[in-house]
Amino acid sequence: MTLPSVSPVRSARIGNVAVIYASDYLNRFNGERLERECRLRLGEGCRALVVDFRHTDLVNSIGVSMLRGVIDVAEKAGARLIFADVNGQAAQLFELLGLMRDVALAPNEQAALTLLAESETTTTADTTPHSD
Amino acid sequence: MPTETPDQHPHFKRVLGRIPPNDFVGRSVELQEIVSLAPDSARRRGLLVLSAPASGVTELLRQAYDKLFAQRGEATPIYFSWSHSVDTVLNSARQFLHAFLSQFIAHRRGEPRLVNSPLPVHELAELAIPADAGWIQKLIGNYERARGDENALVRLCLSAPQQAAAHGSRTLILFDDMHAIDELKGDVDLRIESARLSVANAGTQFVYAGLRRRLLDVLNGESSAHRLDNFGTLHVDGLNMRNARILIERLAFSLHVPLSDESRDLLAQQFSGNPLLLSLYLQAAHNKSIELETYLDCQRLYVDELLGGRLHRRLNVVLENIAPAVSLRRGLLRALHESSLTSVTKTPAEAWRKKLDLDPGEFDNLMTRLHAYELASYTATFLEITACAVWRDYLRANYRLQISAEPRALVVAETLTETLKRAPQTMARQYRRESALGLRELLARFDHQRVPASLFHFEKFTSLYLGLQPEEVVATLDAESELLRLPQVIHTAAGGSFHAPMRQVSDEERCAVAHGFDTNGYTDAGEVVWVAAEIESKVEAGRAITEVWCERLKLLAQACGFRRVRFWLVAPEGFTAEAGELLTRREVLSSNRRQLEMLTVRLSPAGAADKAAETSAAPANEFEMVIPMGGDTELIAAQAVEQIARRLNFQPEAINQIKTALIEACINATEHSLSPDRKIYQRFRIEDDKLVIIVSSRGVGVPTPLSAVSNGEGSESAKGRRGWGLKLIRALMDEVEFERVDDGTRLRMAKHLRP
Repeated sequence: MTLPSVSPVRSARIGNVAVIYASDYLNRFNGERLERECRLRLGEGCRALVVDFRHTDLVNSIGVSMLRGVIDVAEKAGARLIFADVNGQAAQLFELLGLMRDVALAPNEQAALTLLAESETTTTADTTPHSD
Repeated sequence: MPTETPDQHPHFKRVLGRIPPNDFVGRSVELQEIVSLAPDSARRRGLLVLSAPASGVTELLRQAYDKLFAQRGEATPIYFSWSHSVDTVLNSARQFLHAFLSQFIAHRRGEPRLVNSPLPVHELAELAIPADAGWIQKLIGNYERARGDENALVRLCLSAPQQAAAHGSRTLILFDDMHAIDELKGDVDLRIESARLSVANAGTQFVYAGLRRRLLDVLNGESSAHRLDNFGTLHVDGLNMRNARILIERLAFSLHVPLSDESRDLLAQQFSGNPLLLSLYLQAAHNKSIELETYLDCQRLYVDELLGGRLHRRLNVVLENIAPAVSLRRGLLRALHESSLTSVTKTPAEAWRKKLDLDPGEFDNLMTRLHAYELASYTATFLEITACAVWRDYLRANYRLQISAEPRALVVAETLTETLKRAPQTMARQYRRESALGLRELLARFDHQRVPASLFHFEKFTSLYLGLQPEEVVATLDAESELLRLPQVIHTAAGGSFHAPMRQVSDEERCAVAHGFDTNGYTDAGEVVWVAAEIESKVEAGRAITEVWCERLKLLAQACGFRRVRFWLVAPEGFTAEAGELLTRREVLSSNRRQLEMLTVRLSPAGAADKAAETSAAPANEFEMVIPMGGDTELIAAQAVEQIARRLNFQPEAINQIKTALIEACINATEHSLSPDRKIYQRFRIEDDKLVIIVSSRGVGVPTPLSAVSNGEGSESAKGRRGWGLKLIRALMDEVEFERVDDGTRLRMAKHLRP
């Protein structure tokens, strides 16, 4: 019998934003890999994370608990975090398990990046010193 | 003479054996040890078989006899039991001569039917083959002439192997129940005669089998220790659980007793793998045509047997051997029962003597027998009751019937109730034992080996290896430069054996103390004690529980006066960051299950696991599936249920919900049971308007109550996921209910079809 294959965690860096692609089944192991990748990217200096769930078909509760770890890591590093392309099943789980309170959702990766860029502009504008 | 083997001649398979060779399980090593004495080339003069009570050593000797008989051409096997049925030395010696001649002649003629021949010795002699007839006739002539002289007659009977050897026939004498010669009456001391027998017989080998706590006293009591030179020693205890299960299955199959896996495991545990008691029990099930499908079936028969069946008779015989007089037996029954009610394990022997009102000599004899049958451990000053569960049940029930004179119906009902209530606890204890991480075994293998230090530092290990593939971890571990040199461990024992309070807080298997040396050479400076414990936690162990365990280990070390100590805590899921800080500060080593597995691989070759599969027919609207726990196998279940749900035209969203609920049920089964078979059993049933899914697993099923999770309780625990699975299932499915079964938990959930 061949067990279902589990695709690896891929990621990309776009400026100060890291895009991490969750695998097809978000369980404990893949959740740990995701968390590791996030830590790694934040360690490299990324200021925002986009977790892209486009390949994720199934999520289990342990995988969700690992996402809680990702949220904590991002929070501690002061980084923005957006979950992109979350399917209905995963979204329902995130909702049921209270993740939605702590993370922003975007319909896809591009939308997430746009959201982050807009937010960055706003923040920069807000923090630009006014000259009298 | 032709050489024959049992396999070639099935009719020769059983001569003295009481069960078919194929049903004789778990003793192949011991059997081979005995049989290997037979060849001319055998270097040993004999074997001492030290057996636990009722461990089936008689059947072992009988099976060995059958094997030796079938081999032919080697030494002639002679089996003789110094059983309690003959009460004088002289009669026993006569019986030995009869057994010797009948078995010798049977073997030489190749006629197994003569082995149990009732013919008197002079008639047996006429059946001897010509080569033996002369010396046998002469032996019997001397036997007839020696009548009236007990001493001469006993010696003559026991000299039969010597006579055979003198005429070129080697024999292998299998003496069973050797401890019983102490009970034989007569002017001749059989200890001395048996000593003389083994010293004088150059062409004969001996197997001396008897109760392990008596055999050496009997054999060494009156003779030079040198006579047992070149004897090997064989220890025979109860069967381990795996072999006990196989034995039960084989016996049940042979005896046509329907048996479930749950019942099999309960019986193996309840009888502590005792082959004799298990055989008696299954024989009773056969005779009474009782099915052993549920715990209730098992315990009904058990109580029935304990109070009046084969088990009762067997235990009665032992008690009669220990205390032959009725009044003494009643006193002993009372004393044993009353002692078993107190929490004090050791009682002064003098208090027992006064209670039983015996003079010191009588008391010592009684206690020696109690000790030999392992109902108690007796030293000159203390007595400790050590009776197993079956004995305790027997003593309690019989005390109530015989001493307290309680109504039989009441005793039966309450014993049944108690044993039934105890059954799940018994199994839970076993599952916990089996699920323990095996610290003692691991410590024993340390042996100065060097291993990556991160295997003993959870935080470091996690920071280095979190999320890596197992192969990557192994490769990186190999490259790790910081190594920890482990001590050479010379002794390991459970923590409770050193410090009794540890027994109150930890299973025996989960706390270990290992004495050793961490330097080459055995010096004071190199002496070190490792104190290790496994924290039972389904999630990462937090700071509070970790601190409690650090204190426990410290107290143990202080109580025992250990000078140089290393503490090592293991938590299956590891430790929280706060707990990690505490461990670092206190210099306590820490590992999780994964680290332990990697350590185990590094310290020993990998073992093999048993595999088994079972299938059964199901109706067309019902599907069954069994998946192994772990390895993401829940995905396979999810794919299967997706196909089934599609057949019923569930909407995609509902299918996703069903799949998610099933995945969570599988994870729950894996995480919340100490499953003995590591399998998840699933049944999918299509009913009129719904799909019913039943997920069950064996083991200690203690799910978080649905009422608690529905309120969101537990969601703030480590990583916040305790109870999440059940909460999800409840949210995603239309019906959810748990059902406790004999041996585990069953989750039934259903999803309604909506148009």
